[in-house]
Amino acid sequence: MNGPTDSRLRGWLATPVARALLALALMLVIGCVFNADGAFFRWSVHRDMLRQVSVFGILACGMTVVILTAGIDLSVSSVLALSAVGFAWLTLPMGWPAVWAIPAVLVIGTALGSVSGMLVARMRIQPFIVTLAMMVFARGLAKVVSGGQKITNYVTGADGVAHLVPMPRIFGLIDSRVVGGNVSIVTLVFLACVLATWIILARLRLGRHIYAVGGNEEAARLSGVPVARTLIVAYALSGLMAAVAGICQAAQEMQGDPETGMGYELDAIAMVVIGGTSLMGGKGSVTTTLIGVLTIGYLQKILSLNAAPEATRLMLTGAIIICAVLFQRGRDR
Amino acid sequence: MRVILRRSGSRPGGMALVAAGAVVLVTACAGGAPKKHAGTAEDPWVIGMSQCNLGEPWRVQMDADVRAAAEKHSNLKVIFKDAQNSSLTQRAQVEEFVDQGVDLLIISPKEAAPLTQPVAAAYQKGIPVIVLDREVQGDQYTQFIGADNVRIGREAGRWIRETLGGQGKIVELEGLMTSTPGQDRHQGFLEGLDLEHNPGLQIVFTGEMKWLEPDARTEMESALATNDHIDLVYAHNDPGAHGAWLAAKAAGREGEMKFVGIDGLPQEGQQYVAQGILDATFLYPTGGDVAIDEALKILGGQQVEKKIVLGTRIFTKDNIQQGGQPITN
Repeated sequence: MNGPTDSRLRGWLATPVARALLALALMLVIGCVFNADGAFFRWSVHRDMLRQVSVFGILACGMTVVILTAGIDLSVSSVLALSAVGFAWLTLPMGWPAVWAIPAVLVIGTALGSVSGMLVARMRIQPFIVTLAMMVFARGLAKVVSGGQKITNYVTGADGVAHLVPMPRIFGLIDSRVVGGNVSIVTLVFLACVLATWIILARLRLGRHIYAVGGNEEAARLSGVPVARTLIVAYALSGLMAAVAGICQAAQEMQGDPETGMGYELDAIAMVVIGGTSLMGGKGSVTTTLIGVLTIGYLQKILSLNAAPEATRLMLTGAIIICAVLFQRGRDR
Repeated sequence: MRVILRRSGSRPGGMALVAAGAVVLVTACAGGAPKKHAGTAEDPWVIGMSQCNLGEPWRVQMDADVRAAAEKHSNLKVIFKDAQNSSLTQRAQVEEFVDQGVDLLIISPKEAAPLTQPVAAAYQKGIPVIVLDREVQGDQYTQFIGADNVRIGREAGRWIRETLGGQGKIVELEGLMTSTPGQDRHQGFLEGLDLEHNPGLQIVFTGEMKWLEPDARTEMESALATNDHIDLVYAHNDPGAHGAWLAAKAAGREGEMKFVGIDGLPQEGQQYVAQGILDATFLYPTGGDVAIDEALKILGGQQVEKKIVLGTRIFTKDNIQQGGQPITN
């Protein structure tokens, strides 16, 4: 019975991707059991789940890159809020067309990420502290830009009188669905982010540098890897992803809310870790992050469909994160 | 007696605080009671307004209401502070206001237990205190002004029962159910619906959206997936109702049902009603304007009631242009 096919299968089953997939499959089985009167078997439920996790998933892509360098980025939720507010502010009261507003917001997000990266790489401050500070700073900036209020299509004009302006088309466009109403645009944005991250990590020299820095920074330095530059680019990428997520968030909420996204960084970290990426750096991939995103997305959807009480949801989510990580560690302890 | 001058934090008017503090310092050194202002345009009364959290739009509105009401009176000056959702910060702010010798203190406390003592200390030093929205324990304050969430929930429930004609499937999207407003808006809603005598009414889905719009949208998607027909969505706040509408719209089902929210902020719920997104919203008044009216009475030496319960107002498509309809009973 120990033919070559069998051993190859066993070998594959021991890979992080296979284990992450098994966890996801288990979650789907749970969904089939607790199907809320058959609701779980309808495509619209899965479509909505994919829309709902997209913003988290985009954050998780950037988070994967940073965690691979043995860092962490706590600022993503605040950069998301700042980007949502910035996007709403530029397109609504300022009346900028989307083709200008989107790049501007992306540049701001990337810039904030670069600042974090520079403080980590050049000033040698711990990533946790740097991004904690950036988290507080960006949230404050979001409140300054918005004046503490949500930015909606109810705009105060030059005459001091507030009036309704038509919602720019870009909001509805990002929040719409394609392929016969079966796939949300934000889900496509999420998948594009996964693809871009995968290309960077698996196909570019930058990706090899990221793994090298996270695996052993000193060894990477000695073998000629530009450590500082790699770190800065990693945090800049995370900032860029947070800005993308912020635009998606604003479009879905039809407003720029300075309070939005509170705590999203923890969801993003959980999604990365469930996928099997090590917080110690150097080990992991965006493919497993994608599976982690889906696993948590399904968990939340199943709990919501069954109208589980909030307390139950929190306890189950905590327990399942631990189970998934243990499952992921499996035999290579 | 020594007076310690504190930095005033991030609010504008810091210079005024330092100036006010300096006045107290001088008078305190002279050994008398803190000097009160005359209440004229040259020497206006100074009111300290301690807000527990300006992160919430409703509380931003409360400060705006206080500011707008105070600007009508040249003999009043209000100093605003934001405790940023920290009881200890708010406690320090109350003590600062006392040290600075304000003529009257308005506080919207974050929570009762940690702020009861500082409020009582200010009150015992002869500073009148108006407590807004959330109560403190005991009776060591001048006046409490607040709305009644149970009553507002009951009015919403009653309106829903009458609008649906006692027949229909309802989704309830709850605020944070560990918070008193969430519990009260739920309890009042059930009282107003009176399910016992209206068997045709049915709550088909309940989800906790924790006051958050994205969470409301997610919960509503589940409600839509598990129910082929929904007649009405009742959300404990307007962002929740708006999130539900977004979900229904994405499913192409927004015309099937009505949407009802609570809070009725001018730039939020009232706008949603004006745009035809919500069918009704019920005002949760901030009391900011009432607080200034009452403050003037107190400073003028009049006796005021110990407790004022604010009424609510309903906003619908028909009355939104007239500023809503007060509910009195």
